[in-house]
Amino acid sequence: MTMAATTLVPETGFIRWRSVHAIWWRHLLALTRVWQVALTWFVIEPVVVLLAVALGIGRLVGEMEAYGSYAMFVAPGIVIGTAMFHAIFECSWSTFERIGQSYYETALTAPVTIPEIILAELSFAITRALLSTFAVAGFAIAFGWIPFVALPGLLLVSVGVGLVFGGIGLLFAALAPSMHALSLVFTLVATPLYFFSGTFFPISVLPAWLQPVAWVAPLTPLVELARGFSVGPLGSTHLYCALYVMALAALLYPLAVVLMRRRLMK
Amino acid sequence: MAVIEARALVKTFGALRAVDGVDFRVERGETFGLLGPNGAGKTSIMRMLAGLSPISGGQLFLSGLNVAEQSRAVRARLGVVTQADGLDGELTVRQNLEVFGFLIGLSRRQARARADEVLGFFRLRDRGDAEVDELSGGMRRRLAIARALMGEPEVIILDEPSTGLDPESRIRVWEELAELKRADVTLLMSTHYMDEAETLCDRIAIMHSGRILDEGSPPELIKRHAGSAALDIRPDGASREDIRSRLRAAGLPYREVGAIIRVTGGNGGVPRLPALEGVQVSERAANLEDVFLTLAGRGLQEDQP
Repeated sequence: MTMAATTLVPETGFIRWRSVHAIWWRHLLALTRVWQVALTWFVIEPVVVLLAVALGIGRLVGEMEAYGSYAMFVAPGIVIGTAMFHAIFECSWSTFERIGQSYYETALTAPVTIPEIILAELSFAITRALLSTFAVAGFAIAFGWIPFVALPGLLLVSVGVGLVFGGIGLLFAALAPSMHALSLVFTLVATPLYFFSGTFFPISVLPAWLQPVAWVAPLTPLVELARGFSVGPLGSTHLYCALYVMALAALLYPLAVVLMRRRLMK
Repeated sequence: MAVIEARALVKTFGALRAVDGVDFRVERGETFGLLGPNGAGKTSIMRMLAGLSPISGGQLFLSGLNVAEQSRAVRARLGVVTQADGLDGELTVRQNLEVFGFLIGLSRRQARARADEVLGFFRLRDRGDAEVDELSGGMRRRLAIARALMGEPEVIILDEPSTGLDPESRIRVWEELAELKRADVTLLMSTHYMDEAETLCDRIAIMHSGRILDEGSPPELIKRHAGSAALDIRPDGASREDIRSRLRAAGLPYREVGAIIRVTGGNGGVPRLPALEGVQVSERAANLEDVFLTLAGRGLQEDQP
């Protein structure tokens, strides 16, 4: 048999965007089919948190001179923290379920590669982070806790949230032997980060030994950036934050590809 | 030209050689069956062809394309039905087809039109808006096959197409596969059902422990390994040990299956039994099961050092 050299298609080095687009579309279709439930994730849950914290706890905290009020301090933190939960949930829980239901096995019988699957998952994590930010920040804007002009900046930060926490979620989905083990992504990663990344209180109030840990936590730079856009002023710290986020995303993507390949291709 | 060609194909999982140096060719329009028990290596071969599993050794070609190097191009020509069906439970029946059509490169409009066609072919048109979970096992399998047809592939591979189906659904799947065959589609399928292989396949490779024991059309294989007829001996009152020793002395291959001692004719016609008393003997046409028992029995003996 002769090898037709002209038809040789390299397996690596190019991304077939149709694969990414089609998987992303599938996820969007599945989400819109359960829109009534999705609405509670995107609107009711975060708004409850926002109101409880900003109004309830905020009343006890009183003035926070540097930020205007506690509500103005905490609102961008909650916006980004909620976006994080969406990204991490999508790429750990939902991805893990799709592995179990042989969704990716089927996708791979089409001319699709693992990097394209990873990019599709990340793009949908970004989509969910953006939807979440749009909803939660919208409420905060309505209450006057976030200025309207900060919205594009917050959406930009949410893209970073999707990349970083989608990536972390994918690592857990690729490695977890069971749903039980997978729940560690929430107890070990999402919940601690939600509280200790400068979301609800400034990192400077933490004990001195804990502060460096809080500063390298992956949610911290994103919250810091969001607050930069929301309260201001943006400075050189934010540049470092942006670089850190990009470095994390650049590290997580190839790692997710390698681990997911190991999981799916046996 | 062979549509599928395997040369000294190997798949290892650690120390296990799931596929242990396999050669076969499938010609255009042919239905080729890999027949063997679980663990024979059938699924591994199909997964390698579909790009779902890296090739450990040897070579695998589809329409002249090297699967190891051009998996994407190979998959563009293949329709695959995996054992798990892999249906999307979050989408409707029709959405399963349309989303997959878009994934393989059809436009949304083409995908819609093609989904109509395959739903019609598989008599699922009135179930288009149903949830996948509402379908019966037979319908789910037919939907999985329908999905594999979305791209009008040159070759379809089916991993145990009728496993787990009730008899009626099974026959329905067979009818539809036979219709595909008439449309000149090349089919590679695995099965552990002898009747399925005999009904659907032009040629069969009998597999055991990662190796192909023999290959040919069902009548050829039966003639070669089981003769024209087989005898089933029911010992009733007679001593089994006595029957065994007489069969051995007569040089007849036999195999005990439950209450029956099955004697095949080898390469001859009807086996000539030595004188046996107090037994019931019934003669029947030899079938693939006899071939498999003969070959697998021999294969197992060869495994012993």
